[in-house]
Amino acid sequence: MTGTSGTRPPLSFDIKSTLLSLVALQLKSTDLSRLSSGFALRFGETPDFFDNDGIVIDLSFLPRQPTSESLSGLDTPLEFFALITFLRSYRLRPLAIRGGSARQVAAAMAAGLSHEPGAMPRATPPRVEKPVRRVPAPVPRPQVGALVIEKPLRCGQQVYARGRDLIVMAMVNAGAEVIADGHIHIYAPLRGRAIAGAQGNSDARIFAMVMAAENVGIAGVYDTGNHSVFESVYGKAAQISLVSDRGGDRLIVDKIHA
Amino acid sequence: MSKIVVITSGKGGVGKTTTSASFASGLAMRGHKTVVIDFDIGLRNLDLIMGCERRVVYDLIHVIQGACNLNQALVKDKRCENLFVLAASQTRDKNALTSAGVQQVMFDLAALDFAYIVCDSPAGIESGALMAMHFADHAVIVVNPEISSVRDADRIIGMLNKTTQRALEKREPVQEHLLITRYDAGRVADGQMLSIEDVQDILDIDLVGVIPECDDVLAASNEGMPAIHLEGTDVSGAYGDAIDRFLGMKRPMRYLKNQRGGYFKRLLGSL
Repeated sequence: MTGTSGTRPPLSFDIKSTLLSLVALQLKSTDLSRLSSGFALRFGETPDFFDNDGIVIDLSFLPRQPTSESLSGLDTPLEFFALITFLRSYRLRPLAIRGGSARQVAAAMAAGLSHEPGAMPRATPPRVEKPVRRVPAPVPRPQVGALVIEKPLRCGQQVYARGRDLIVMAMVNAGAEVIADGHIHIYAPLRGRAIAGAQGNSDARIFAMVMAAENVGIAGVYDTGNHSVFESVYGKAAQISLVSDRGGDRLIVDKIHA
Repeated sequence: MSKIVVITSGKGGVGKTTTSASFASGLAMRGHKTVVIDFDIGLRNLDLIMGCERRVVYDLIHVIQGACNLNQALVKDKRCENLFVLAASQTRDKNALTSAGVQQVMFDLAALDFAYIVCDSPAGIESGALMAMHFADHAVIVVNPEISSVRDADRIIGMLNKTTQRALEKREPVQEHLLITRYDAGRVADGQMLSIEDVQDILDIDLVGVIPECDDVLAASNEGMPAIHLEGTDVSGAYGDAIDRFLGMKRPMRYLKNQRGGYFKRLLGSL
C-alpha cells in the first residue's frame, strides 16, 4: 500500500446531490379500473409511449376527505402493488408518491415507494434521501456515447438524442431543431433551435462553431429571444451554459478561443 | 433512360413555372427530346406560359385515369421541335394525382424516348409538390434572394432527401441545383436582398444559375412565350447559361452586375 498511515483509504463511492426529471401521475380518482380504461384510451395505440420513465404518483389532486384518516382508496399496500404493476405494464417505473393521507403514505412505503411530502419548486436543491436506499433502480439510463449526425438539418427537421449527447457535423438551419438530454456540439453553423439538458440536466451545454441560433434552451431555461446575450458572439464559435445564482437561472455565452 | 427533373421551391411566386417553361425549352433547343409536365392540379398555368392553352384537350389526370392515351395528351410546342407539354387538370383536385399513376406516366414517357422529363411543381409541401418530386433524378430549387423563400427552399431540400423514391430506396440522392431568380444586384448592394453568397451559405447546394430581375419576363408570360426566347436579353442569356451548367458545361457567371448602374449613376440618371 502506498497510502501513508494518516490518510484514510479512498471511498469506493460518493454521495452527491442530484436532480431527476420525473413524470408525475396526478390521480384524480383512486378507482383503478377507471385509471385502466383511461390509460387504454390515451396510450392504448402507443404502448411504447413511455420508455421506463421514472414516475411520481401525485395524490394531492384526489378529492379531499373529511378527515385524513377516513378510507379513500389506495389505503393498503395491496392497492399500491396493483397500481405499481399496472403502471409498469405501460413501461412506467413508480418511484415515490407525493402528498396523500397518513394511511396512504404508510401503505405506499410498505409497497416500496418513497414519500415526497409536497410540491417541490424547481430550483430548490434536492436532498439526499430515502429513494436512493429504497428504490433499487432509479432513472438514469446507461450513457451510450453521443448521437452523431453527419448531414445538414434543414428547416422542419428535428433530432432528439435521448439520454445522451448530440454531435452534429453539418449545419443546423433556421427552422430545424436539435434536442439532447446531454450536451449539444455543432461543428458548423447553428441557425436553428437547440435544447440541451432536455430532461433537466442543468450542467448540459451547447457548443457551436458558428453561433447564430434562433433560440436556445438548457434544462428548461430559454433565451428570451431578444438575443442581446448573443450579440457578442453572433457568428462566432461559442458555448452556452446555464448558471444558477441569486439572480435566478440564466443562460450565459462564452466565446470559444480556438 | 430519361432523366426526371423537378422544378420546385416550396414558396409560391418565385418563378417555378417561368423556369420550367424556359428550362424545358432550353433543353429542347439543345437537341434533347423534352416533355414538361404541370403538376399544379386545379391551378394550371404552364400551358399559358407556353402559349398552348387553346390546344390542351387532354391533361395529366385524363392520362392517369385512362380517359385517353399519353400521345393524345402531349401537346407539341409551337417553337421547339423536340418539346411537348403535358398540362394539369383545371377541374380536378390534387387527390386525383396518385403515386402509381404518376409512376406509370413516367414509365410511358421514358418508353417514348424522352431525354428529359421536366416536372413543374406546385407551391407548398402537400401531395402535389411531393408527387412532382417523388420520382426525380434532379431537382432545380428556385429561390428568390429573400429570407422566406430561402427558408422554404431549405424545407424542400430536406424533403428531397427524405420522401423521394431515391431516398426511400436508399439510392444515390436526388441531385440538387440552386437557381436564384429575380436577382437584383442594386437591391443586394443596398442590403435589401440577400447576396448569392448568403443564399449559398444557408442552402449549401450547387449553384446552377442566377436569373436577373427583368420586366420583360412578365410581358413574355402574358404573350405565352417562355422567357428564354427573349433574344438578346439578360434573362434569356442567364437561363441559357444555367441549362449549359446543368448539362455539365462550364459557364462564367454573367449578368450579376448592377443593371440600374451604381448609386451615382442612378442619382445622376434621375436628374
